[in-house]
Amino acid sequence: MGTLFRRLWHLLRLSRHDAELREEIETHRSLRQGQLERHGLTSRDAAEVSRRVLGNVALAREDVRTGWTLRSVDGLRQDLGAVLRGLRKSPGFTLVAVGTLALGIGANSALFSVYNGLLLRTLPVKDPGSLALLGTGEWTYPIWQAVNRRSSELFDGAFAWSPDRFDLSPGGETAFVDGAYMSGRLFDVLGIRPAHGRLLASADDDINRGAVVVISHRFWQQRFGGAQDVVGRTVALQRVPFTIVGVMPEGFFGPDVGRVADVMIPFGAEPLIRGNSSFLTGHWTWWVEIMARLRPGQTLEQATAALRAVQPQLRAESLPEGTPSMLERYMTEPLMLLPAATGRSDLRGRFETPLVAMLAVVGLVLLVACANIANLLLARALTRRHELSVRLALGASRWRLARLLLAESLVVAATGAAAGLVFASWSSALLVRQLGTWRETISLDMRLDWRVLGFTAALACLTAIVAGVAPALGVKRVAPNEALKDSGRGIAGDRRFAIRGTLLIAQIAVSLVLVVAAGLFLRTFTSLSRVPLGFQPDRLIIASLNLQSRASAAGEAAPLVERMRAAAAATPGVTSAAVSTITPISGSGWNAGVGERSAGPPDRTRMTWMNAVSPGWFQTMGLRVVSGRDFDTGDVPDGTPVAIVNEAFVRRFLADRAPLGARVLAGGPRDRTDYHIVGVVSDAVYRSAREGAVPTLFMPETQSDSPATSLTIATAPGQRDAAQRALASSMRQVDPSVAFTLRTFDEYVHASMLQERVVALLSTFFGALSLLLAALGLYGVVSHAVNARRTEISLRIALGASASSIMRLVFKRVGLLLAIGLVCGLSLSLWASPLVQTFLFRLDARDPVTFTSAVVVLTAAVVLAAWLPARRAARLEPARLLREG
Amino acid sequence: MGLTNTPSDLLPGTLELLILKAVSHGEKHGYAIVEHLRLASDDVLQVGESALYPALQRLLLKGWVKAAWGSSENNRRARYYTLTAAGRKQLAAERAEFERMVGGIQGVLRTT
Repeated sequence: MGTLFRRLWHLLRLSRHDAELREEIETHRSLRQGQLERHGLTSRDAAEVSRRVLGNVALAREDVRTGWTLRSVDGLRQDLGAVLRGLRKSPGFTLVAVGTLALGIGANSALFSVYNGLLLRTLPVKDPGSLALLGTGEWTYPIWQAVNRRSSELFDGAFAWSPDRFDLSPGGETAFVDGAYMSGRLFDVLGIRPAHGRLLASADDDINRGAVVVISHRFWQQRFGGAQDVVGRTVALQRVPFTIVGVMPEGFFGPDVGRVADVMIPFGAEPLIRGNSSFLTGHWTWWVEIMARLRPGQTLEQATAALRAVQPQLRAESLPEGTPSMLERYMTEPLMLLPAATGRSDLRGRFETPLVAMLAVVGLVLLVACANIANLLLARALTRRHELSVRLALGASRWRLARLLLAESLVVAATGAAAGLVFASWSSALLVRQLGTWRETISLDMRLDWRVLGFTAALACLTAIVAGVAPALGVKRVAPNEALKDSGRGIAGDRRFAIRGTLLIAQIAVSLVLVVAAGLFLRTFTSLSRVPLGFQPDRLIIASLNLQSRASAAGEAAPLVERMRAAAAATPGVTSAAVSTITPISGSGWNAGVGERSAGPPDRTRMTWMNAVSPGWFQTMGLRVVSGRDFDTGDVPDGTPVAIVNEAFVRRFLADRAPLGARVLAGGPRDRTDYHIVGVVSDAVYRSAREGAVPTLFMPETQSDSPATSLTIATAPGQRDAAQRALASSMRQVDPSVAFTLRTFDEYVHASMLQERVVALLSTFFGALSLLLAALGLYGVVSHAVNARRTEISLRIALGASASSIMRLVFKRVGLLLAIGLVCGLSLSLWASPLVQTFLFRLDARDPVTFTSAVVVLTAAVVLAAWLPARRAARLEPARLLREG
Repeated sequence: MGLTNTPSDLLPGTLELLILKAVSHGEKHGYAIVEHLRLASDDVLQVGESALYPALQRLLLKGWVKAAWGSSENNRRARYYTLTAAGRKQLAAERAEFERMVGGIQGVLRTT
């Protein structure tokens, strides 16, 4: 151990060590000279004799050095030095190789850091390994209360929370902040200490004990400039003043991953915000997440068993109302604990599969990049054949030469990986920003950690091996004699190209797979965005109203909404405004069964989507009333229930009847309403474009129980932006206490196709990248081959070969490689494409058009890449070659 | 001058043993070690620098001697070597081994 340490120390001060040794030996010599002088020699003779007897000092120094350094380490140092000198001498090669790998490795690291941040990173809390989540899905508050009462018997502690968004603005247009409701023990169980003030405790759970809030470190810095006296200040959440009692430590944003909680308030304060419609007493309102910390030594299975033992009591204490069959399911559905070291996230279900798919894609891109680097290194090794032969002839072992070439690929890969990390940290942040929509802001902790660094380092090593082995194997075939003899004058074909042919075939095959994937995803996205929505989103603005506590005051909500609507309609630039409960493709939905009630489970084929709208909503949205009438003021709350249905509804449920005047039973499992159909409107999408036009039943919002608080506003062409600004002030004047959020309809469309767009974008980018890399690789190889055979080609031209026959010569070989590559790529794509079928929209995973186009694109790229060097070959001048010798 | 410039004239490891012995009485620089070996062996052992210094470095690496800079008799900087505790132990062990070896060799030579 001590020896190793001394060796390292020596390595660090290598030059100093040499100088010291020289000085020591010089002292030795001068002492000898002194003695010789004392024996009677002249000073000059003594100096000469002493120097002569010194012997071979250089050899001694070498001996000393080999004594200190391990030979292999020193050899590696020499190799690296040689490689760095070589790379510095060919900046073009270095730039292309490092750049290619930076992109390839960077793309992998970027996606991996997103994957790591979303799925692998543990929560920044005390002992995350012993956390468990009550799975799966949300729970009601009464269930949490029942669990909480037993939490000290069952676990080391438990807490609950529920993510939400809060409006910070005092009135008018909303300014949301992400936050959460939480139970008092959250910080205690997670072991979080305040950065400032105090955190919430169990005492804060009491209902109406006080409106207190704990803010995140980031929120403290951004909103309060890190003020020291922040504790005691107030912040308004949903118009309710909350007193700040403390600041969370930096880097902690709650137990949700991908979503930050900047403000955390106790469940007890929830009624202050939701008023009479508080969720706390809701036995059917599933909105709470429950997490527990296991006792030391307690396994997940033991804890789950303990929980199941008290399940009947837990369920009984929180029993909701409902039909016997519903209650039966409620009682018996088994409780289960899931490991929660990495926290909880809704994003996982949505993004895990696309992320893994994209990781596979970028892995393939990296393979193509590796093949390119291998080709470049091989080309370098071939041009250095002469040098390598001399080294071999001088006695270097083949292993030593192979090591030199491997060191080269290692240096290139390591540099590429370092540059890739920079690219990754930038592009992963960009990617995560792309995933955010109006509905949620996604925020992932993607700081470099050992996993990302390890992943990148592993990729670099793998790249070095994959790219470096081919040239290193090539060394075995270098025969010093021949290489020294022919030095570029060879006429016969070169066997060494066989290995490069294989690389090219692999590149073409992998690129074809990626281009096919890009084609499938791109076509999915374009056909999805071409689905007729049934309305014109580019003119529309949606205003979501939040009436706060006034919504609960009976009879007050509807007139207030009507005043807001009237103000919006009167705003300059606005052509009309109407009210609805649901905004199409906003993600929310409301459905009902159609026809006679049946005792069995709801029949999926007899379901319709529902909406409650005000008169004029169809016209505002741009839907046509095909027959019958729109709603009007005659449709009063207590009047006959009337409904307007869309054409899809007519096709599904009323195909055999005249729709106008028909009567339809629709509603929940126990309460069906008898609707008189008074009109039919044109089709439109409801929840998402993927579902297309679905049966929809509209009722007048005056006859609906649920409040309609979504304003649909149509603007004059080209005036939407101006109208949006005008709306913000005109609506605020109606009642400053009403909060509202204005969004263009495009934002909803954008959010509804988010996954498809991101996947199409990424796969197109990577498909294009891989195509470019493959084309570059082929170009390089063909150029090199033409160069190596220029003697032969010139000879052929001198003997009368035409330009076209030379081109044929080149293309014959390229064509063969292309054909084999395409066959491999096609079979690979045909095998792999069904894996993405679920993601595609109105497209077969083996869509012939996509496959044919991919083949055409790839062939075009390959032909272009080969054509340039082939033309150069055809234009070779034999005379020039003769002159140059 | 009949100098013993190559360590191969000695049994392997013997030079190290002699150096350890030479510095066991107190610190010495390289030249003093050579002189000590020459005088103590009645001019039989004349160690050359190209053998001495690599051997000293090997001993340093193994931690059996340690070195410190000081000034020599002619006022130059010289490195003085002293025995470490590990070196003392090694000296004792090697000395026993050496004597066993020499005894063995003599045994062979005595037989007729």
